[in-house]
Amino acid sequence: MSAPVSGQLHLNVNILNAGVFGGSWRFPGTDALASYSIEHYTSIARKAEAAKLDAVFLADGPVLDPATRHRTGNNLEPTTVLARIAGQTERIGLVATLSSSYNDPVELARRIGDLDHVSGGRVGWNVVTTAGAVAAANFGRAGEPDHGLRYRRAAAFVAQVVAAWDARTELVSPQGRPVVVQAGGSTDGRRLAARVGEVIFSAEQDVAAARAFRAELRRGAVAFGRDPDEIVVLPGLSTVLGSTEAEARVRRELLDELLPDAYARGRLAGQLGISLEGLRDDRPVPLDLLPEPDEAGGSQTFYRLVREIIVRERPTLGALLRKLSGGAGHRIVVGTPEQVADDVETWFRSGAADGFNVMPDVLPSGFDDFADHLVPELRRRGLFRTDYTGTTLRHHLGLGLPAAPVRVPDREPLEAAR
Amino acid sequence: MPLPVLLDLVVTDTSAATPGADPAPVGLAAADAIAAAAQAVGVTALRLLDGVPGRLGVDPTVVAGYLAGRHAGLGYLVDLPTTGNAPYNAARRVLSLDRAASGRAGVVLRPGAGDEVSDAAVPDPAASDPVERWTEYAWILGRLWESFPRTALLGDQERALVVDDALVREIAHTGRFYRVAGPLDGPSSVQGRPVLVAADLDVLDWAAIAVSADVVSVSREQAPGADAALTAALDRVGRSRVDVALVGRTAVAPVDAGRAGAVAGELDGWVDADRLDGLELQVGGDPAEIAATLRALVPQLVPQLVPQLVPQLVAPGRADGPGGDGLRASLGLRASLGLPAVAGVLA
Repeated sequence: MSAPVSGQLHLNVNILNAGVFGGSWRFPGTDALASYSIEHYTSIARKAEAAKLDAVFLADGPVLDPATRHRTGNNLEPTTVLARIAGQTERIGLVATLSSSYNDPVELARRIGDLDHVSGGRVGWNVVTTAGAVAAANFGRAGEPDHGLRYRRAAAFVAQVVAAWDARTELVSPQGRPVVVQAGGSTDGRRLAARVGEVIFSAEQDVAAARAFRAELRRGAVAFGRDPDEIVVLPGLSTVLGSTEAEARVRRELLDELLPDAYARGRLAGQLGISLEGLRDDRPVPLDLLPEPDEAGGSQTFYRLVREIIVRERPTLGALLRKLSGGAGHRIVVGTPEQVADDVETWFRSGAADGFNVMPDVLPSGFDDFADHLVPELRRRGLFRTDYTGTTLRHHLGLGLPAAPVRVPDREPLEAAR
Repeated sequence: MPLPVLLDLVVTDTSAATPGADPAPVGLAAADAIAAAAQAVGVTALRLLDGVPGRLGVDPTVVAGYLAGRHAGLGYLVDLPTTGNAPYNAARRVLSLDRAASGRAGVVLRPGAGDEVSDAAVPDPAASDPVERWTEYAWILGRLWESFPRTALLGDQERALVVDDALVREIAHTGRFYRVAGPLDGPSSVQGRPVLVAADLDVLDWAAIAVSADVVSVSREQAPGADAALTAALDRVGRSRVDVALVGRTAVAPVDAGRAGAVAGELDGWVDADRLDGLELQVGGDPAEIAATLRALVPQLVPQLVPQLVPQLVAPGRADGPGGDGLRASLGLRASLGLPAVAGVLA
């Protein structure tokens, strides 16, 4: 059973370069290369602060996405971006993604801790293990480390970093220590989330599965001796807003048209870990090409997600590409601010979510619509704050400061995958 | 052009002062005020140090990111050790800072040890010499910074092309300490690539510095003869003295307007005597004294009337002095013309 959700929901905006859709950067009226300038990020952050959101979030990997030919990619290192945003805002939380596989724990603990101090206690660290051989090659490895090893290292790494924050006597954090964020949908990832995560991003598609996921996480946290109310679960939510339902649908269809086909196929092939060569757009993806989720390499979360869609809905390849629209596979909600607010309210009140990690369709226009129209609607329903009541990210999220997790004894140096 | 002047700064916890250190550590709010004063009197760049002996300050890249959005007219040089930083991460972080600061950033690469991630996959487990590591590390940074040229960004919405990926190249580096594929995830900055500073002449040698440095910072003791040694070392790797700025680093006690003229005169004499291209000041005192000293002193430093280059040694068409935008130009360096190809430097 999941505990009933009460109070108000939490909202982050994921500044995913030009927007979550593969065609975002081509959307009419959009500056194609805005996401390669720092002002793109600082201005969205200021808008998010004006809308009283909990935090801005930056996804990241230490790698050039091979798909960059056809869509914009993340291209600025998150801690430098957030340090700049910290100097130009006062309240908004700042969540950076940094890899546990490809950073040194001593250096990372210092840098994130210092950013937290400088920002006045507004920082969260999204722990990722970083999938893929392309990133591994930037750190001397011939292939990505085994999935299980990545997660064993992540658990020990987080414990070491949190212990370092906890031991600070100088440059201490106004919020005690930075918030640990985690986003793993795999078996290994859920275990890590239950052990160390304070904010959990998820990619659930329907309300029943999301409720079950949240309940499982809370049980897992209890099993690790934690208070389940010290966990905030934020599913990803891609929004396509219009002033009428028809307008929203037209916007969604236009984004489909703008999706570069070569990019969509390349991305899906990467997510599934198989070649799509020779597969026809008007036929379903053959099930026998798909390995079991726990045996897949790369990001198991998004593999699992797309595999489930293929198994459940048996879409043609063309329909699947349009459904994903070049996004990672996070849930897409299309409609008026009232309709999207209905969806948000249903998820929140039924115990499926404590809030959402919002991925606007197009940046900045999709977030402007979100902040100007959806946030006021959520306020009218009493679901979202009208002003900040504190100054730290922990305060915004309603999180206390639990004891630091016990150091994990089985920490091994990362093995080089040669 | 004005004489390039760098100001050293250590940002730390105001609750734990370190008396007597040069430069004196300051809190973040004081650093913000000093940056404003420095910008107003034309200081070229802040050099943000890692700490004072025995005590770490706020991570310099964090301070630089914070201040660069508030004082856009200053340059920012961040101290960054090889220790704890995989070169791909360091290259990304410094280039991100440089791009955010409109090409007004660079790194003071400090020699040290390795990092946990790279050490686990080190190509030659016997490699340990810090000078050799520094040389390889600086080399990798330069290659990564040029691996994704700005000109590769197309943003062609009609043809659905974000990047001309034919112009984006792996660096495929394998040395004794590191193996790095590249390319970086973001394009080069408006100044070509971030400025790379060598400041540890007690550890590094001129041969190492000559391969990759854009700026060399020398102490009072190291300055005599540095120009000649640098020139000779650059010559051996096919680089010109105009490609590198030699900066004299010195402590300065707080001065008021009355005494500033004498101090400026002494510093100008030092610049001439040791053929320096700029100064790096480590001003003592409290934050108000540091700001007051900058206001009194910096305007009195004599402008560089003639760049320290010998025209006949410079190839035609390349002797037109500072070029391009950003910190590189403010330091009197030419626009980035691509990295020198130094054969045989790295096995």
